[in-house]
Amino acid sequence: MNELREVADLFDDILKDKKIEKYNYVLVQSGKQELNVENGEFKLLRTVYDYYTSLKVYKDNKMGSSSGNDLSREALVKLAEDSDSAAQSSPEDPCHDIAPDQGKEVFRQGIYEPDMDKFIERIQECLDTIKKEYPKVLVMAAVGSYDRSHWISRNTNGTEFEDYSGHYSFYINISASEDGVNTGISGAYVEVDNLDKPFMDLGSMRKSLEDISNSIHTKSLDGKFDGTVILTPAAAAQFISMLIVNYISDSVIIDGTSLWLDKVGEQVASDKLTISKKPFDERIVCGERGTQNGFRAEDVTLIDKGVLKTHSLTLYAANKTGRKVVKNTGWDLVIEPGDKSLDDIIKSVDKGLIMGGFSGGQPGPNGEFSGVAKNSFYVENGEVKYAVSETMVNGNLAEIFRNIRDISKELVCDGTSVVPYIAVDGVVISGK
Amino acid sequence: MLTDIYEVHKALFEDGAQTVLRAQENRYRVVEILKGNIVSNSRRESKGISARVGKNGLFGFASIAECSDEAAKKVLKAASENVKLLARHVGGNEIILPPSYGTGRVPTNCDIVDTQQKRIIDACRKVDDHIARKYPDLDSRVVYYSEDSQDRIIYTSDACDGHLVTPRCYIYVYMSLKTKDGNPVELFKALGGFGSFDDNFSDVEQYYPDLEELYKKVKDKAEGVYAEAGYKTVVLGGMMGGMLAHEAVGHTVEADLVMGGSVAGPNLGKRVASDLVSLVDFAHTYNGERAPLPVYMDDEGIKAEDAVLIKDGILTGYMNNRETAERYKMKPAGNARGWSFSDEPLIRMRNTCVLPGKNTVEELIESVEDGYYLIDSGNGQADLTGEFMFGVTCGYEIKNGKLGRALLDTTVSGIAFEMLKTVDMVSNEVEWSSSGFCGKKQQMAVGMGGPHMRCKIMIGGR
Repeated sequence: MNELREVADLFDDILKDKKIEKYNYVLVQSGKQELNVENGEFKLLRTVYDYYTSLKVYKDNKMGSSSGNDLSREALVKLAEDSDSAAQSSPEDPCHDIAPDQGKEVFRQGIYEPDMDKFIERIQECLDTIKKEYPKVLVMAAVGSYDRSHWISRNTNGTEFEDYSGHYSFYINISASEDGVNTGISGAYVEVDNLDKPFMDLGSMRKSLEDISNSIHTKSLDGKFDGTVILTPAAAAQFISMLIVNYISDSVIIDGTSLWLDKVGEQVASDKLTISKKPFDERIVCGERGTQNGFRAEDVTLIDKGVLKTHSLTLYAANKTGRKVVKNTGWDLVIEPGDKSLDDIIKSVDKGLIMGGFSGGQPGPNGEFSGVAKNSFYVENGEVKYAVSETMVNGNLAEIFRNIRDISKELVCDGTSVVPYIAVDGVVISGK
Repeated sequence: MLTDIYEVHKALFEDGAQTVLRAQENRYRVVEILKGNIVSNSRRESKGISARVGKNGLFGFASIAECSDEAAKKVLKAASENVKLLARHVGGNEIILPPSYGTGRVPTNCDIVDTQQKRIIDACRKVDDHIARKYPDLDSRVVYYSEDSQDRIIYTSDACDGHLVTPRCYIYVYMSLKTKDGNPVELFKALGGFGSFDDNFSDVEQYYPDLEELYKKVKDKAEGVYAEAGYKTVVLGGMMGGMLAHEAVGHTVEADLVMGGSVAGPNLGKRVASDLVSLVDFAHTYNGERAPLPVYMDDEGIKAEDAVLIKDGILTGYMNNRETAERYKMKPAGNARGWSFSDEPLIRMRNTCVLPGKNTVEELIESVEDGYYLIDSGNGQADLTGEFMFGVTCGYEIKNGKLGRALLDTTVSGIAFEMLKTVDMVSNEVEWSSSGFCGKKQQMAVGMGGPHMRCKIMIGGR
């Protein structure tokens, strides 16, 4: 493992020789062992050994970057030359900068030596359980992957981060059939740093299998109504991702198209909603430690009880707009739970949907969304009635988060996020 | 280009196994100018070598980020060990190897010409300056250059060998304006296509008419209205037709998804569309000319041919790899492709297109009394059942055969094999798009195209 440090030292020498005085880079050595399952059976075992090198050069207020996957001296020289040349070709923009000195730190996370036999057994155990307990379900594809990485990042302000991390991940793509009728695709994903528990007991595995088993015979809704939509944790994470992109990310703040441009400190959502990115939360596996800008990562709360605490800006965007940089460029999403059970939330719904996924694009800058409700169930008078097909949902992203009816006390933790069910009002639901 | 030094390693291929050795380099170039500010300026290369060994219905795959003699030997050994390890867990599996569909060498199709980053930046700035000067009322603008080119060398045990190159580059232009209520609306257009920078952008002024058209459309959209939700008669533009060909139908006829229970399974040989609809996944040539993203050979060494999927409304075939072709008693047409050197080949589309009909676009629009003309889509998704959703970013009302007000963003949805049966007019020209990526475990560059079609479809609104 000292090899990477030697490469980093060599790279510093090369950059010095090239008279490049301001830069930051990351060198990554990674490995993957991946088991692929097709139609419920083991099909392919894949091994990947890779490198990643990325350098940003800053010269006379100009920035250029280059990346590759070769640690040889020749490749590093080319990387330095390409970045330097890209910087010289670029127009001046003093907002491109590197993070101030963060000191030196070594991070170790997860499991660095995998137990592949145990991992394969856990996967087989999960497939066997599905066959036995969910006979209508077909595992179209499943992928179990052990991923390991070792990286070093340095900048010319003195920061040096070194990170060793390794984790297992497992996902299933499933469908179900009965009497010649098939469902669409559903799935579940978990990421773990130990193999103590069966995959079946983690994340939303069981719930996804139950839901797809109950989704074979669907009905389409008649007409159009304004209803309540209970977003499952997967759908809630999808909508929150769209919320972040649409209202608080770099590009919409730089170009000024965000409708929350001047809303920091103001109530933008229901006071039931608290959204954080918490790489240090113990439920998050291998969370971010060093940001893409070269800061030591921090937990950050974006929306606290409905109040926008900060935009989610990188160093460049912060410099460009005179706003605060957020020392967090990962996902690591944590949504605070509510105090009602999912069952009680369902009982309170007059007419609406439990929506497992949203098939639609990123809304435009105005937040209007329109798409198909996937893996969804119709709810009427507090009861789940049937699975739906050909059902569209329309609404406004900002509005639905202002109209949160309830948040469940149940949370789904899949290793990358911790998210409850979120019930929102004011969604137009239309059938055929 | 990669140096072709790998033929000698065929001697190391294991007897009784099907082996593919692939060396590959992907190169990426990005420049992004957001409202006059260069926010991205990067170059990336990723190269390495992989081997896939298939035996008794199981596969071992291994890759290393290095293109050398030694790396070739290592991946061949590791892939063989992986297939053995898998066999120990699965037990005996006496599946017969898929047959060979011919050997030989597919000739190199072209070269990748690299361009200095300065020239890329200069071209992007010229486009950006032109937009800033000519359309000062725009609320925001983005000029985004993206190049992703692939160079691959393939040696196989019992199929074709070849050294193939696929360069493509685009400038995406985004324009946004505010509506009278202060809500931003946006449209984008991708300029460029197959080939290197000089093939597409030696003279960016050739694209100024496209920018003018984009500006006009975003002005119209700023005055736009919401579509009225419901089941409507629409004219789908060629880009929408291409999205339909790829998302709603194409994925359901990928043989791995057929095995997973897609709606195409029980419908082979049956009517799935009106007799005006034919759908083909073109390999490398359309109408006597190069297809938008030509594929001459796939990553299993199968020489690429067109895959006819729907003929006159009848579902006639699937897209296969060697193994699924054997299962469905079809001939593989070269659809097994991997994106990077470390990706195993999966069944992927190439240039999927609904074939043109006999009407003119004007005839289609004139024939609609009350409906919509849906021109462009920003995204689309579909399910195994053929249930699809496309975001509509650009469209107009049609009233009494004439175009009316522009539409704000909306969505259309339906079940592909039901919706295609409502197609009753098809235009005589095809529009292609080749800038997109398809996501299916890995990303993949794909082309898609279609004519204008009159049909009935569910449209979302407020």
